[in-house]
Amino acid sequence: MSKNYKFIDHTADVAVDLKANSLEELFTVSAEAFKISVTDFNCLEISDSIEIELIGNSNEELLVNFLNEINFHLTTKKWLCCKVESIKIFNDENYWELSAELSGIKLNSEIELKQEIKSVTYHQMEIVEKNNTYSTRVVFDI
Amino acid sequence: MNVGGIELVKVRENLWEIPATGKMKVPGRVYISQKMIEKGLKDDEALKQVANVAQLPGIEKYSLAMPDIHWGYGFPIGGVAATNLSDGVISPGGVGYDINCGVRLATTNLEYNYVQKRIDKLVEKLFNAVPTGVGASGAIKKLSSTDLKKVLRKGSTWAVENDLGSSEDISFTEESGTLKNADANSVSKRAYERGADQVGTLGSGNHFLEIDVVEEIYEANTAEIFGMFPGQVVIQIHTGSRGLGYQICDDYLKILMQASGKYGFDLPDRQLACAPIKSQEGQDYLSAMQAAANFAWNNRQVIMHLAKNVFKDTFNQSDSELGFNLIYDVCHNIAKIEKHKINGDEKDVCVHRKGATRAFPPGSKLIPQKYQSVGQPVLIPGDMGRYSYVAVGTEKAMEETFGSSCHGAGRNLSRRKAMKNAKGRNLIEELKEKGIVVQAKGYRTIAEEMPGAYKDVSDVVNVMHKEGITKKVAKLRPIGVIKG
Repeated sequence: MSKNYKFIDHTADVAVDLKANSLEELFTVSAEAFKISVTDFNCLEISDSIEIELIGNSNEELLVNFLNEINFHLTTKKWLCCKVESIKIFNDENYWELSAELSGIKLNSEIELKQEIKSVTYHQMEIVEKNNTYSTRVVFDI
Repeated sequence: MNVGGIELVKVRENLWEIPATGKMKVPGRVYISQKMIEKGLKDDEALKQVANVAQLPGIEKYSLAMPDIHWGYGFPIGGVAATNLSDGVISPGGVGYDINCGVRLATTNLEYNYVQKRIDKLVEKLFNAVPTGVGASGAIKKLSSTDLKKVLRKGSTWAVENDLGSSEDISFTEESGTLKNADANSVSKRAYERGADQVGTLGSGNHFLEIDVVEEIYEANTAEIFGMFPGQVVIQIHTGSRGLGYQICDDYLKILMQASGKYGFDLPDRQLACAPIKSQEGQDYLSAMQAAANFAWNNRQVIMHLAKNVFKDTFNQSDSELGFNLIYDVCHNIAKIEKHKINGDEKDVCVHRKGATRAFPPGSKLIPQKYQSVGQPVLIPGDMGRYSYVAVGTEKAMEETFGSSCHGAGRNLSRRKAMKNAKGRNLIEELKEKGIVVQAKGYRTIAEEMPGAYKDVSDVVNVMHKEGITKKVAKLRPIGVIKG
């Protein structure tokens, strides 16, 4: 699929609408939108990859946790997530679990960060499935 | 008047009420002019958020909003709500991600004409001394976890004990720069990690360090007591608890979303997740939030110290010659247990101020001795191209707004639109022509934060002035700005 995210005008922060053919793809697209929000770096070289496992009480909470995990690695571990290599989501009623492999690069002087995301919010977030298309809005507090 | 589906009833010239309907437990009240409603609130969800906050368990009197109201997460920015301690709740949505984001203002004995000649050098040196921008770190050595724990417990007292400030500074900081019930054990390992190297850093976005000149004085006596005079150079610092605070907000949103379900709260917005103040979850958030508040006070204290050293060095003056004294430090994102009169009885309540400044009156025991006769300084920064205000709290604020007032201008353009407007322009040059030297980590921040992206702060300040909630004391004009 081509570009499946669209940035929306938001007075104080950054909002993006996402669309995908599966929940896993929606998460992958969200990571792309996150990366584009923080840097224009093209990610042609990737230095290493990490594995993450997260849980949540809803698919929205899982998405917030996922993006905040990526933000934590960026702000604190100084590591930029370039790509979601693989992702698996498991659900049993109110229990949601995710495991993923992310590849990326340690921050260096060539990677210019555009803005600091304080957090990913639940504001206007609602993951909707319709005719096998998953969509949601994500708002970053900056 | 109906604004985006919300009914607004005029109470006074600049005060509007949202009648309590549906699940609202109290009415909403918004301090704002008709012109500002028509210009700024029509396509916004901020009024709906005022109504949402009115649904919080244990809310007292009104869900309030200040004239700089705009769309936030859970609470609107500019939102104030007090909840009772018996069955009321505490909500991170009423504090925000940047816990104890706030402003401090310090004096100098220097006059504009003298500083103007060296303003370029001064701004450059300040820019080099205070780390700014995305993920800024390393103002002072990275703290060990033992030291960081001390910062979380002691607030700006830690800075003073480490020769980064004076006891005078402490006495002119809200709460003396330390909330006493902060518990470092309620703070996650991740929050520690995010905060460890960020003490003394400004960060990015709307945070700044600014050199201003006192342009106009409205209340001569009060200004004199604050140590201000016309033409004087003063320093303003706006930042908060950085990554540590953002992480604490994240951590506790998760915990309190669970708790909201456990206590059977039916909330209109997940960002209003909350827990009874008395509950373990509520107490844990309160103590973690206090730890972040202490981090923020210490942060502003360290930045002020770094700035003071730059001034001493640039002008080759001693402490006493320079007269670099703190007027006051206020927080505008916080929840605090305070005593307020509710239906005639004095009662302990939890006052949430989300983008609102405490504005205590003359005679309050919680403000410095020196300001007893005039009231607490209220610091209201505007955008970097126009002006900021110093105001003072009143008894009417205690009666009507739980001792609270506005905190800033609020944006009127999105960052994207601001970037568009900045295209093909040289904002640094434009500001220079107005006598303002700006230095930032990236040009993008200057474009996003350009003066036209913000509302006119004087509209905001005048609403509170006309309604008698805070009184204007002085107007400041920027001459040097450091941004992230």
